[in-house]
Amino acid sequence: MANIVVRSLSRRSFLASTAALIVAGSTPGFARTIVGRMPWEPGSATPPVQVRPGPWMFFTADEAALVEAAVDRLIPPDDRGPGGKDAGCAVYIDRQLAGPYGGAAGLYMRPPFMPGAATQGYQLPGSPAARYRAGLLALADHVRTAFAGKTFRELAPADQDKVLGGLETGAIVLKDVNGAEFFALLLQNTQEGFFADPVYGGNRDMAGWKLVGFPGSRYDYRDWVDQHDKAYPLPPVSIMGRSDWTVRE
Amino acid sequence: MKPVMRSALAIAAVLAAVSGDAVAQDGQSFDRIERGRTLAVLGDCGACHTAPGGKPFAGGLALETPFGKIVAPNITPDRQTGIGNFTNAEFLSALREGRSRGGKLLYPAMPYPAYTKMSDDDVLAIRAYLATLTPVSNAVVSNQLPFPFNIRMAMLGWNWLNFTPGRYQPNSQKSAEWNRGAYIVQGPAHCGTCHTPKTVLGGDKAETPLAGGMLQGWYAPNITNDSRTGIGTWSKDEVVQYLKTGTNSWTLASGPMADAISHSTSQMVDADIAAIATYLKDSGLGGATAAAVAIAASDNAMRAGAAIFKDSCAACHKDSGLGEAHLFPRLAGSALVQADDPTTLARVVLHGTRAVATSAMPTAPAMPAFDWRLSDAQIAAVLTFVRNSWGNAAAPVAAGAVTKQRQSLAAAP
Ligand code: HEC
Ligand code: HEC
Ligand code: HEC
Repeated sequence: MANIVVRSLSRRSFLASTAALIVAGSTPGFARTIVGRMPWEPGSATPPVQVRPGPWMFFTADEAALVEAAVDRLIPPDDRGPGGKDAGCAVYIDRQLAGPYGGAAGLYMRPPFMPGAATQGYQLPGSPAARYRAGLLALADHVRTAFAGKTFRELAPADQDKVLGGLETGAIVLKDVNGAEFFALLLQNTQEGFFADPVYGGNRDMAGWKLVGFPGSRYDYRDWVDQHDKAYPLPPVSIMGRSDWTVRE
Repeated sequence: MKPVMRSALAIAAVLAAVSGDAVAQDGQSFDRIERGRTLAVLGDCGACHTAPGGKPFAGGLALETPFGKIVAPNITPDRQTGIGNFTNAEFLSALREGRSRGGKLLYPAMPYPAYTKMSDDDVLAIRAYLATLTPVSNAVVSNQLPFPFNIRMAMLGWNWLNFTPGRYQPNSQKSAEWNRGAYIVQGPAHCGTCHTPKTVLGGDKAETPLAGGMLQGWYAPNITNDSRTGIGTWSKDEVVQYLKTGTNSWTLASGPMADAISHSTSQMVDADIAAIATYLKDSGLGGATAAAVAIAASDNAMRAGAAIFKDSCAACHKDSGLGEAHLFPRLAGSALVQADDPTTLARVVLHGTRAVATSAMPTAPAMPAFDWRLSDAQIAAVLTFVRNSWGNAAAPVAAGAVTKQRQSLAAAP
């Protein structure tokens, strides 16, 4: 045992020093040699922070009104549960756009920019935040012109559906914005908001999970693994818990 | 230092080595040095007298005491910065009377109140072992306490109140193994330094040895044979396994006990570990301290606690509270879980911990932190639940106790 540790130590430090030689002159290279067991330190994880309801962080009041109306048509409320608005999808999108996602922090954003194949997704320089800003403005303009000065929120549900449907098919052409692409982005983010963990602001009271029977952040199913014909009895649980966790006075 | 002086000292050192000083006269046989090494393991000298990443025994580890910081000095045979110039009498006096070279009174962060039980021969064997180490030059300023605690003379009063010098007295009613165990526990291994409750002045409460004490935000539980709050339900083999490997079918060691196991007990010879177990299984008042009455499952905190346990804890500790041997501690029937003092429990759930890894049990599973996920009231509720389920019974944990622990962890993790 001791031998193995010593040998792998020297081999690893050898690799580390070679790596250092290779990168010398460009960026400094650091390698850590870990012997025995993986290090453990309290407080070294960065857990998600619960999104709290409150003022909009990205949307203006007008933008927010449009988005809330739109997500409630994409996922309309019915007798099985709340729609996109009450499930918090707009809050989810707002907080995402105000954070690293909105600024495209996780994407490669250098030129050259050229339209890619359909399977490659969006390939142009707009960050999600910029695309929402431009898309919502163009959509509001279109609605105002087409519906005698009204806002999207003021339209009858059937008209709202017609607008959204027109964007999706490309029948409605927005000024300077690809309406179909914008619709696809909005639909995708709305679905995320409906099914992502409530810690991110949407899926309020785990409405989306209750609908599809997803158990949430549980990670042990040993007791149910071989119970094939029975319904899973436990309620879903979010990363930040569920209402039963509250100590009642 | 001026070069001239340094060479003068070097000459003095050579002369001393040639002529043979007090230590050398002691007969540096291999057996004696090896015995000294074993005793230094029993006494865990290296744990305090070695800085993290520093040379063994060269000092530098800062010990947190309720009064401030004390840094363990260099005890390699270096003549300027270590203990190379100590006579045997000075070494004996430092270890057993807390009075070091030149009459310097030591603070009891150095466990002389326990080492006082050790025989001349054992202490000098440690000395003989230390004398074989390579001298390391490392000057350490031990006393970093704030005024007025930095006045060493104050220890005169402390010693007068709290310190009973004297060698271990064998109990002729008991077996040789029992006496060996008692000697190790009370003397070199100084288990009571952590496990014996303390008076306000930090002295041992002599009437309740090993009945559980607090240190550095951990609770060192009752390790007498009490079957509710102590290790009464553990078999002798299970005690041995715990000390040797850091885990048994009940629990896994963490925090300060993880250090005591990896540096000291896991390195002890089997006969000594067995002797400790024999002694512990026969210590305390016997029987069980009166059980608390379990809190009803319908209590609000218990109900919230049950939901939290089901969702956050049962995956590892199981719905039955039985855990998985050597991997996830058993909470049902655990003395630690039902201890009067919930400090360790709050700490473990807030911050998480990593169990000790020994060569026999190298896995070292970790308990995740929940400070980001559970409020103080929720942690209090889930702890109240585990302390009062599956036959466990103990006082509820107040949210305020968790708040206090969260604050002190934030101040000094
Ligand atoms: C719990 C920590 C701890 C352990 C275990 C411990 N020591 Fe110490 N030791 C200290 C501290 C702290 C001091 C300094 C106290 C002071 O300055 O008042 C000290 C002081 C000493 C001194 C006096 C040195 C001087 O310069 O005056 C000697 C000798 C010594 N220890 C030897 C040992 C030996 C041998 C062992 C093992 C049998 C041991 N210690 C175990 C913490 C410890
Ligand atoms: C530095 C302080 C310290 C010293 C010295 C120490 N212990 Fe411990 N001990 C603890 C702490 C703290 C715990 C609780 C560990 C945990 O929570 O996992 C503990 C736990 C234990 C347990 C497990 C009790 C239980 O119910 O889970 C036993 C047995 C034990 N110690 C025996 C000993 C013996 C025997 C010695 C002397 C050889 C000793 N300890 C020395 C701090 C110490
Ligand atoms: C991923 C598995 C896992 C989960 C989930 C988990 N624990 Fe632990 N728990 C452990 C491990 C492993 C240890 C032993 C750690 C050590 O000894 O340092 C432990 C130790 C403990 C201890 C100390 C017991 C002892 O004998 O030392 C308590 C009390 C405890 N857990 C309570 C809880 C509570 C309450 C929860 C839920 C809020 C929980 N645990 C969730 C793995 C887990």
